[in-house]
Amino acid sequence: MAARGVQQLKQVTSQHEGFLRHSGFRWLKIALTISLLAIVVYAFDDVQPRPNGGSAYGYFLGTVGLLLILWLTMLGIRKRAMTTGRWSLKAWTSAHVYLGLSLIVIATLHTGFQFGWNVHTLAYVFMMLVILSGIYGVTAYAALPRALSNNRGETTQAQMLDNLRMIDRQLHDAAQPLDHRYAEMVRMSLDDDPFGGGAWARLTSHYPRCGTRRAQAAIRQVTGPNARIGDDPLEKIDVLLERKQASLSRMRQHLRLKALLEVWLYVHVPLTFALIAALFAHVFAVFFYWG
Amino acid sequence: MSSPFSSTGVETLSFLVRQISRTADGREIVRPRDFAASELTIGRSTECDIHLPDLAVTLHHATIRQTGPSGAEIVAAAGLPFDVNGRSTERAEIDAQRGANIRIGSHLIAVSREADSDAIVLTVERVGAVSDASEAKDEEHAFSLASALPGKRVMAWSFIALVLAAFLAWPLFSFFTNHETPATIAANGTQARPIAFHADEMWSSGKLSQAHAQLENNCKACHVQPGVAVRDSSCIACHANVHEHADPRRLAASMPQPNAGQKVQLAFKGAFNVPEGRCADCHTEHEGAVAMAPTPQKFCSDCHANLKSRLTDTAILNAGDFGTDHPQFRPAIQTSALPPVVQRLSLDARPIQDEGVKFPHNVHLSATNGVARMAQTMRADFGFGKSLACADCHVPDATGTNFRPVTMEQNCQMCHSLAFDRIDGTVRTLRHGDPAQVVADLKAFYRSTGPVRPISLGGNARRRPGDFAAQATQAQFSFASATRYGRADGAIRATFSEGGVCFECHRVIQPAQSGTGTFGIVPVNIPDRFFRKGWFDHASHQTETCVSCHAAPTSASAGDVLLPKIDSCRACHGGESSAKQVKSSCAMCHDYHRDGLAPEESRSRNGGRRGGTTEASRSIIRREG
Repeated sequence: MAARGVQQLKQVTSQHEGFLRHSGFRWLKIALTISLLAIVVYAFDDVQPRPNGGSAYGYFLGTVGLLLILWLTMLGIRKRAMTTGRWSLKAWTSAHVYLGLSLIVIATLHTGFQFGWNVHTLAYVFMMLVILSGIYGVTAYAALPRALSNNRGETTQAQMLDNLRMIDRQLHDAAQPLDHRYAEMVRMSLDDDPFGGGAWARLTSHYPRCGTRRAQAAIRQVTGPNARIGDDPLEKIDVLLERKQASLSRMRQHLRLKALLEVWLYVHVPLTFALIAALFAHVFAVFFYWG
Repeated sequence: MSSPFSSTGVETLSFLVRQISRTADGREIVRPRDFAASELTIGRSTECDIHLPDLAVTLHHATIRQTGPSGAEIVAAAGLPFDVNGRSTERAEIDAQRGANIRIGSHLIAVSREADSDAIVLTVERVGAVSDASEAKDEEHAFSLASALPGKRVMAWSFIALVLAAFLAWPLFSFFTNHETPATIAANGTQARPIAFHADEMWSSGKLSQAHAQLENNCKACHVQPGVAVRDSSCIACHANVHEHADPRRLAASMPQPNAGQKVQLAFKGAFNVPEGRCADCHTEHEGAVAMAPTPQKFCSDCHANLKSRLTDTAILNAGDFGTDHPQFRPAIQTSALPPVVQRLSLDARPIQDEGVKFPHNVHLSATNGVARMAQTMRADFGFGKSLACADCHVPDATGTNFRPVTMEQNCQMCHSLAFDRIDGTVRTLRHGDPAQVVADLKAFYRSTGPVRPISLGGNARRRPGDFAAQATQAQFSFASATRYGRADGAIRATFSEGGVCFECHRVIQPAQSGTGTFGIVPVNIPDRFFRKGWFDHASHQTETCVSCHAAPTSASAGDVLLPKIDSCRACHGGESSAKQVKSSCAMCHDYHRDGLAPEESRSRNGGRRGGTTEASRSIIRREG
């Protein structure tokens, strides 16, 4: 029995081979070979007075790097068509990741370690930022989904929002008999957009202008000095706000994890196009001025 | 204007309130209520006629009052405004016939008039959600970061536009609005274009070398036409005096056949309209704000390593690498002083030079002989040490590269005196370098021109009685002429012969056998440079002593060529890629374009001067004293 269980487990794990370990790390091996080869040739290429992108090998590396960048960008188109087999999307993604990493070596050797405040280094910096965001993306995809599911428990996003809406309705009903002044306090919470606060608030889960917290603070300022407990309708509001607070914080953690999972693409994709534009300017400048 | 009450009657005054609510599936439920009153209260309080369960509404927010058959007035009750037809107000007249929308909090009250019921109709409906969260939301979008950031597509296009504008369009504009040319820059100096940031500098792949630093903000100084590689004409605009390396036809003949890799490069260059043999092929730029790097060895060795196989008639020997493939030095040696003959001879052939002077270095540098003793006695006047040192005679020139010429007056005469007479404390010396003057001075010293012929001794005077006195004069004159002439002659001969002051250092040309003519001296020619095709910078070699290269202390003859052989240099210097202490490419000693000046590498090392610095020369002066 136990043996069969283990066997089943093995099968399951082999079926879940991710894009990183696709085909026994085939593309990792290819990328490493390319990088190593590039380094060895660089070491033996005697460019005087010092290595630069304008040497024969420099032009070669630059051309390879340019074509590689354009091919890597094609993943954006390729990913919209899922296929299987040797040229499956998974294989393509695996190649994208590892060949993308090998660009660090190829492009750095292309620079000949000459950097400056110019369009050439700008293209390099964009490329490195794209690669770094990609590395972050792979790491985030590996680590964050587990945290996301832990935080969510069994609830779905829709349920999270419904829960919030239910509390809001209760708050709204409970506040009906209240004076305008108190009603305004409750409205601070009700009118607050749970999805507001901007990108930074999402990424940090830090909401300094949270309406619910402000509402609760205002209510407590009123009820604080009040000795009577239980018969004040504001007490009920306070309890509801407390519940809303708890519900919000869980949702915000969810939003944060989701944002952390998604944010790299907002660097990776737009900067890729910035890179292609800078690359165009780089190549244009080279052909414009020559050596 | 007549009152509405008189025309319609009081009993017809009424409001019809329709409260609309919606079921969960969006179905509309209308609850109509009639009010036979002329005034209705609106508020959150359940006691209000129109109850709005809305926290944005005060308990009693407003009162609406009928003022005529279709006229009404709404007035705020708690001092908080409401919207009538989109305008915030605390009081408004409403014509129900024309209709109006009253917005209080999340509720909308539409005012209209219904002809058949003859009442003002107030349709009340909640239009806003209970809370922000309760509003209809695209859930997938709201939970995604996309709702908090501009779209990726928008960002991508913005970046593309920004980058192309700043790094393509702007530099292009900057380039095409610059109307300088290499010629105008050469003529007007480099300040023609204002020193400021110019966008086309963003295309520069690196700082220019120090020599070209002033061209940094003017790309057109070199890059004249778009898409055209820098041509030699740009360089020549300023560097007008640079000569060719050799006859272009012989240069072409000496080029090696390109190998496969070079053929590919040539094909690429041809395809992109980059000609061969440009200045910029060797003199690469944009390599950083340092001295322009010396031309790499391979640019020389490509041709010179195997030159003889292609240029068979050349006198130049093959050289590929200073450390491993360089012929023995072949200085220009004067092998005969008279007639002067200068030959390029290998140091391996042990050439004997004839500079026309006798000078044993060993005698002069000895620490124990009479020369040393004499130097000690003259210490106070000339700063000599316990014996003579090299630097006592060999003084670096202003550049530190070479030495000032050694002269009789500066360097020899303090010991090798030409004094021959003293008159009232003034020493008379023979004129150095002028044998005829020496002869004249010596004759004068001995009155050797003979006595002046007395005027009474007429040439063809007739003999007459009383000529006795004249005969006596004749006799005295003859005697004087005979005796005094002879002493000067001997002294002159002694001066120019072995043991004489001239002969000591010089080779003497004897007067002709016939007795006509006078003594002469073989001309002395000490070369300022032995190597006309190479360069040696003494200032750069201060770490060495003179004798570590020049074997002067053991040289007994001026015929010895005291230049070190190549092996001596190779103790420190190796080829460009050798493991030796000093990696030396060809450009360290040889200059491609000109032979009269120090090579670029030597010049740039010495702070850009064409030779050494004065500090260097000063420190070399008394190193060995």
